[in-house]
Amino acid sequence: MARLTIEHVARIEGHGNITVDVTDGIVRDIRMDIVEPARFFESMVVGRRFDDAPLITSRICGICSPNHVITSIKALEAALGVEVSERTKLLRKLLVYGSYLQNHATHLYILAAPDYVGLPNVFPLAVSHPEIVERALRLKKLGNDLTTLVGGRPVHPVTAVVGGFTSEPDLRDLAAYRDLLLGVAGDALATVELFASFPVPDFSSAGEMLALVADDDYAIYDGDTAALDAGWRRPAAEYREFIGETVVGHSNAKHSTVGGRPFLVGSVARMNLSAARLNDAGRAAFAASGVTLPTRNPFHANVLQAVELADASARCAGYIERLLEMGGTSAPQPFKIRAGAGGSATEAPRGTLYHSYAVDDDGLITHGDVITPTAQNLANIEADMRDFAPTIADRPAEEFTLLIEELVRAYDPCLSCAVH
Amino acid sequence: MAPRLVVLSLASDFGCQVQLTNMTEELLDVLGLVDLSYWQLATSGHMPDDYDVAIVEGAVTTDEHVDLLLRVRETAAVVIAIGACANIGGIPAIAGLSDLDDRYAVVYGAGEAVAKGRRTPLPLDAFVKVDYHVHGCPIDTSEFLRVLSGVLLGLSDRVPDMTMCASCKTQETVCFYDHGEMCLGLVTRAGCGARCPSLGRACTGCRGIAPDANLASARQIAVRSGRPVGELDNALLIYNAAKEVRV
Repeated sequence: MARLTIEHVARIEGHGNITVDVTDGIVRDIRMDIVEPARFFESMVVGRRFDDAPLITSRICGICSPNHVITSIKALEAALGVEVSERTKLLRKLLVYGSYLQNHATHLYILAAPDYVGLPNVFPLAVSHPEIVERALRLKKLGNDLTTLVGGRPVHPVTAVVGGFTSEPDLRDLAAYRDLLLGVAGDALATVELFASFPVPDFSSAGEMLALVADDDYAIYDGDTAALDAGWRRPAAEYREFIGETVVGHSNAKHSTVGGRPFLVGSVARMNLSAARLNDAGRAAFAASGVTLPTRNPFHANVLQAVELADASARCAGYIERLLEMGGTSAPQPFKIRAGAGGSATEAPRGTLYHSYAVDDDGLITHGDVITPTAQNLANIEADMRDFAPTIADRPAEEFTLLIEELVRAYDPCLSCAVH
Repeated sequence: MAPRLVVLSLASDFGCQVQLTNMTEELLDVLGLVDLSYWQLATSGHMPDDYDVAIVEGAVTTDEHVDLLLRVRETAAVVIAIGACANIGGIPAIAGLSDLDDRYAVVYGAGEAVAKGRRTPLPLDAFVKVDYHVHGCPIDTSEFLRVLSGVLLGLSDRVPDMTMCASCKTQETVCFYDHGEMCLGLVTRAGCGARCPSLGRACTGCRGIAPDANLASARQIAVRSGRPVGELDNALLIYNAAKEVRV
């Protein structure tokens, strides 16, 4: 028999409680109660000017705010028929990847790693393993600095607007960051090796997997949504047609399904669907991860995030190279305000993020909709706990609790996003 | 004995706490000076019954938040409000501009989620005395460190009363009104170094309305620069909606 109730699960973003009750090998109760209060964002943007939406909706989440800003802007551009320059797109990719570096480093080292070395938090590691903490801080700082370089500050960037950027980094600064990004290749690989060395349970999620895909890119900024098991690929803007959302009584965040099934988004889904698009650094990192594809093990999310760190740092160095050579402008493109509706998606660190809006002739928003990665993962997290808990029910209470928490933390849940 | 710190969040996006994790290096430096007793985002363990300094992020949006906040005020010698939500209500307070049940229906339809005891979003000082204020959405890490040092040294809270315009003047940033664009720096509390205007983005007012602000005069300037009547006040609602609700 194994029962546990964890109130305010630590080292996740937001307020959530876990209840697990397995008696005589039978699951009596499994719940992830999301008590994070709703702030009603979708209602907040209605009646406001279109360009207030990226500002307001990015406050859904201070952790992946660059993704909210960019996804919101792209959805509005789809609604208003605005085309942006290649230069703007590259700068936006840097902004999103800055968030990746920052988020993945924070999740891996500050939130997840303490589980695997038996510590309550990362601070004692600074004394016992200073080289590991210093590496974590280097990666995290580089991500923050990259977001700051392009966006003006690490949390809630300010320079990205509908049509382009209000200011652009100095080319010399960009060149310096290309070198810094190439310089963290060793740190990224060491992160893969560290997480590959942590044993993870042999567990297989029954859920479908969804991620953005693109023909010529490890899709982060743009792409179609693809489903791993069902094998389909559809325009991301049609997300309302393939993702179903239901309100559940124990959570302020809705649960999502695709074709009636819970599904998983994030690094595991991305790698299963886009591993062929990894760059050389990413492929070398993947080889060191010890993971074979396709994988259905949600615990692999950690080491695969580390693989993405290696891919991302080399990829961003390449983007900077192109920005230095290409010329052109990222200044906001002029456009006419018109009525319209549009949706868009990006891959946030935790999975696909969807925004859509409708605006009227005056540019006022008449409808807004957001589905966040964690909201998509919640039903699958519960389904995984339901399948996983009986297999570890004979473990000592403390170990049982830790394994359940590790499973939840592998999804890198962000509950302020999930509820919003 | 080092003062015991707790970090809590009410309704927020955790952005200010992310800014705290962004100063891990500096935090490691001050760890000897403070005892970080509870920080849900960064560490396992329960909130202790006793502590000296409470750092609170987020707006009050539920009855549970009120109970927690009153308990925190009773326990902590010092309460520091961080970010726009905790200090002025911020973006969550937009929801308070109309009926919460209607908003609930927009988001959840007829479904019944757990959102119990919800109430009009308000900043901390609607319920308790706040000793130190770190403004901004999100907070600036160096400003936070300055305030925390002040707390440790027993200095009083020093928040600028003036508006942001002075910062743009000293930085020689061209005024947005010169080319007919609206900017809330006219009435917004200084202290961020006018970061957004220096990056070509007009101030969106995240630090709240400055005590020195002259709203009537600001409205005149906006209209004289060709902006529609009411635009400035409407823009101010993004961060200052709680002010409307409290009157």
